[in-house]
Amino acid sequence: MTFTLLARCPKSGQIGIGIATYSICVGLYCNGLRGNVGATMSQAFVNQGNNALALRLLEQGLAPARVLDELIANDPDSAYRQIAVIDRRGEAVAVSGAKTRGWSGHRIGAGYVAMGNVLAGPKVVEAMAEAYEAAADLAFERRLLAAIEAGRDAGGQAGNEGPLAERSAAVVVCGHHDHAELDLRVDLHDKAVDALRSAFEEYEPYRDYYRERGRNPRQAIPQYQFAENLRRRRREAAQ
Amino acid sequence: MTYSIIGRCARTGRLGLGITTFSLAVGGRCEGVAANVGICKTQAFPNRTNDPLAIGLLAQGHLPVRVMAMLAANDSEHDYRQIAIMDREGRIAAHTGSGTRGWSGHRIDGDCVAFGNGLVGPQVLAGLIAGFSARPDEALEHRLMRALEGGRDAGGQGDATGHRPERSAAIKVVDRVDYPEIDVRVDVHATAVEELRRVLEEFKAYEEFYRQRGRDPARAIPQDLFAKQLEARRAGRPS
Repeated sequence: MTFTLLARCPKSGQIGIGIATYSICVGLYCNGLRGNVGATMSQAFVNQGNNALALRLLEQGLAPARVLDELIANDPDSAYRQIAVIDRRGEAVAVSGAKTRGWSGHRIGAGYVAMGNVLAGPKVVEAMAEAYEAAADLAFERRLLAAIEAGRDAGGQAGNEGPLAERSAAVVVCGHHDHAELDLRVDLHDKAVDALRSAFEEYEPYRDYYRERGRNPRQAIPQYQFAENLRRRRREAAQ
Repeated sequence: MTYSIIGRCARTGRLGLGITTFSLAVGGRCEGVAANVGICKTQAFPNRTNDPLAIGLLAQGHLPVRVMAMLAANDSEHDYRQIAIMDREGRIAAHTGSGTRGWSGHRIDGDCVAFGNGLVGPQVLAGLIAGFSARPDEALEHRLMRALEGGRDAGGQGDATGHRPERSAAIKVVDRVDYPEIDVRVDVHATAVEELRRVLEEFKAYEEFYRQRGRDPARAIPQDLFAKQLEARRAGRPS
């Protein structure tokens, strides 16, 4: 019970994930992104060793299809996993194991995979893919957010007894650095996708400030003052 | 303005980081936590390349004190950074640059190092350490949580013009496997330490279910059923 858009941005070369699920703290499991290497995600009944292994195999030069073959061969319970692998060129592969539960499936597009399990139906995956493609003019992280919002709006997750709430969500983007360029999470919430959007909009104006503060500490204004200025600008904009 | 603690469990060898700050989404900037290697956290005016570099140097076998010397030599603004490093054997190096703002300092105490800047005073470090040391029999994540609460209760962040709220917080714990065992976050919140306690308690209730579901998927019950049983147990009802 999870829906995910894993992608490489064709414009920036960044890789990223947008994910939402009934499980709490899903960001904990999103350790499959590395700049200059690729992106991978294992979900459904998660094999937590998969992401680290997949990244090492990609780093060694294996093609995504070969990485996926190895993850399957390496796991006696691979039929329970749902896995996507994308390399730094954007080549994408995915598998939705036969024993993943509920409606489970994926759609592979140019440089991306939309996938999910225990969903309201194929429309959820299709809506994610369409929203991601339709938002081609937006910044990469906004495309990822648009995708999971579309997945939610298309019905999201459905268990045996009806719809399941998104209780956690995350958006992570890696570029050319050893650290993520964006790594935002909501770990425990009734409407985690909504909360992730508002966290993102709150965080977004700080991103340049945080970056510059580290690079040019001598010129940095105190953050409390930055926050105060931001509040004032927003107040003025609202008037 | 941030206060943090890096600690090691002497019984298990697990390593962990607890951090809270006025800045948003601090957990998304904590990539220096590596199983079987160690932990490095750079804060104040952080140099984002420090932590991955430090982890690489620790993995090559350098002592924390040598890693710190190399970080210093590699960074023209080292004076603006606050850095703590612990290796997997619990050896510690710490640095509080003279350019960090407000009351700023670090304290090493046995299996932990407390460090912070923009604080109301040294009592915050004492609060962190007292919290960490209060229940050495507990799991490391709980000790880190108590540490953050101890720092908050000792006054946390602020200066003569007022207190600064904790707007984000995170705890990460690694053991021997490639992925974090505990990785809980609060990215945008008015009282992030309280909220982190709520997220951690909830995650601990699910932790074993999530682990077993991945390892033995054929026997896993649906998560909505698990959630229902958990609710019933909490209410004291038979499920």
